[in-house]
Amino acid sequence: MSSDQLLLKQTWAVTRRLMLEQWRQKKGLVFWAVFPATMMLLFGMVYAHNASMRAGLDAAAAGILVGAALFFSCLGGTVAVIAAERERGTLLRLMVTPLRPSAYFLGVVISQLLLALVQVVVLYAIAWLVGAKYNGSVWLGSLILLLSVFSYVGMGFFLGARFAKRSEEVVVALSAIGVPLLVLGGTFFPMEIMPQAMQNVAQLNPMLHMNQAFKGVAAYGKSFADLRFEIIFLVLFCGLSLALGVQSYRHLLGMDKPQ
Amino acid sequence: MTAAIELADVHKSFGNHQVLNGFSLRIPQGETWGLLGPNGCGKSTVLNMLCHLISCDKGQIKLLGKPMTMLGVETRSQIGFCPQRSALYPDLMPAENLLFFARLYGLSELQSQQRVAELMHDFSLTDFSSTPVKHLSGGWQQRLHLAVALVHRPTLLLLDEPTAAVDTEARLAIWQLIEKLRDEGTTILMTSHHLAEAERLCHQVALMRDGKLVAQGSVSDLLARMPDQAVAKVQTEDVSSITQRANLMGWPWRHLGNDVKLFVPLSLSLREIWDALGEAKITSISLQPVTLDDAYLELVGDAASLPTLASKPRHRP
Repeated sequence: MSSDQLLLKQTWAVTRRLMLEQWRQKKGLVFWAVFPATMMLLFGMVYAHNASMRAGLDAAAAGILVGAALFFSCLGGTVAVIAAERERGTLLRLMVTPLRPSAYFLGVVISQLLLALVQVVVLYAIAWLVGAKYNGSVWLGSLILLLSVFSYVGMGFFLGARFAKRSEEVVVALSAIGVPLLVLGGTFFPMEIMPQAMQNVAQLNPMLHMNQAFKGVAAYGKSFADLRFEIIFLVLFCGLSLALGVQSYRHLLGMDKPQ
Repeated sequence: MTAAIELADVHKSFGNHQVLNGFSLRIPQGETWGLLGPNGCGKSTVLNMLCHLISCDKGQIKLLGKPMTMLGVETRSQIGFCPQRSALYPDLMPAENLLFFARLYGLSELQSQQRVAELMHDFSLTDFSSTPVKHLSGGWQQRLHLAVALVHRPTLLLLDEPTAAVDTEARLAIWQLIEKLRDEGTTILMTSHHLAEAERLCHQVALMRDGKLVAQGSVSDLLARMPDQAVAKVQTEDVSSITQRANLMGWPWRHLGNDVKLFVPLSLSLREIWDALGEAKITSISLQPVTLDDAYLELVGDAASLPTLASKPRHRP
């Protein structure tokens, strides 16, 4: 078996295992689906009640998907995978096998992509029921979602490898870092209602650009050219986040070695 | 014959703590060796080095004839490692755990399925095929833990205290499995705190102390280091009288509570020993051959490391 074939086989083995574990933890799986569905229903009811806000419903659906659902599932999910692997001692066992770090990394990315796909379907099904629409290019939307998922998984590896040694720490780390980023990313409120100083700080928040890019295409039907600034930012952030993730994973392999 | 494992003058320290201090060992292919020694003497460090988890500061390590630094995936795939702590995926079934690891080693789907079925049968895990690992008892988890280390048919197996946290029944079952592997010609290096385990399973044992090899050989070789001796186990309420008499007779002794172990000449009968101990109040006395435990304590000299044998250091009159 060639080295590339082994890489593919190992990647697929990791993906299958993670998907199977996710499937077995049925409660967790239900919550991943319930979370965006509930958010969408609540926002839908608020927007339907206020006719003047009706136009914002399409943007709300996009914001909930990228800003909240994928953040918690892809970033939170990756941190949880790393923490569990360390806690159970399986990371040490994996180090003794010929598993390549890149295969493990890719396996986690693919499993998170599949989970994200389920969330996209669930959220847009509810969105359709409450009257929200997807107005732009599916391909451009998919590209932005893909970049967002990669960025979240990269950050997940970074946070998981550097900070989360135990599962309980995952929730604390996510709340401490994630919720302020969601607020500053324009997930819940439009940026315009924030003070100028907050808006300036928010420009440094990658989630703002993910939100703006996906809202741009999904709610306002913007083109690639219209969104080039956001997309360039996303590509750069995605690259940085993946590099940080890989580097942190390698650091973790060294750090978790027995002493 | 090419050695399966060769360590020459290996040094390793963690910070200021020197764990291995010129450790050397050579294990021929097809043999089962036990690595024994007190807690913290460096046993697990040796195994972790052989698994490529940590590197040595100085010295040379060869596995299956190749230096550690030049081990490719192929050679590494010939090594099976069972860490001390059970490391499994709790939500998966036993067969799913095995399948996952088989795939990591690059076995084809058919080979993986066949190998998993074989291991499930050999390790009597078929009754638990639809039980998630988290619902298995510690003993069954440990069996599965060992099975995972064998999924790719390694020629060299490294076991870090394989029966450390299991009950007697599971321990006996795991011993039988290791015996089977030993008889099939797998090279095995296992660390253990159970001398009876090493005595039963290993062709040879290596005794470590302070990061060094202090003795090696077969169990009978080690016993031969205490020639012409037997052990009289005495239970008494008057330990000091017994030990005083032993000192007079020139018999080394150890004691724990009211139990005194006397190392007596093999030629003496129980009656003669009883008479020699004189007026001391003896509740019971028995005469036994020297065991590996005794030889271990003699050579390693750290009784505190063996909870099952805990006793005061041996006294020589």
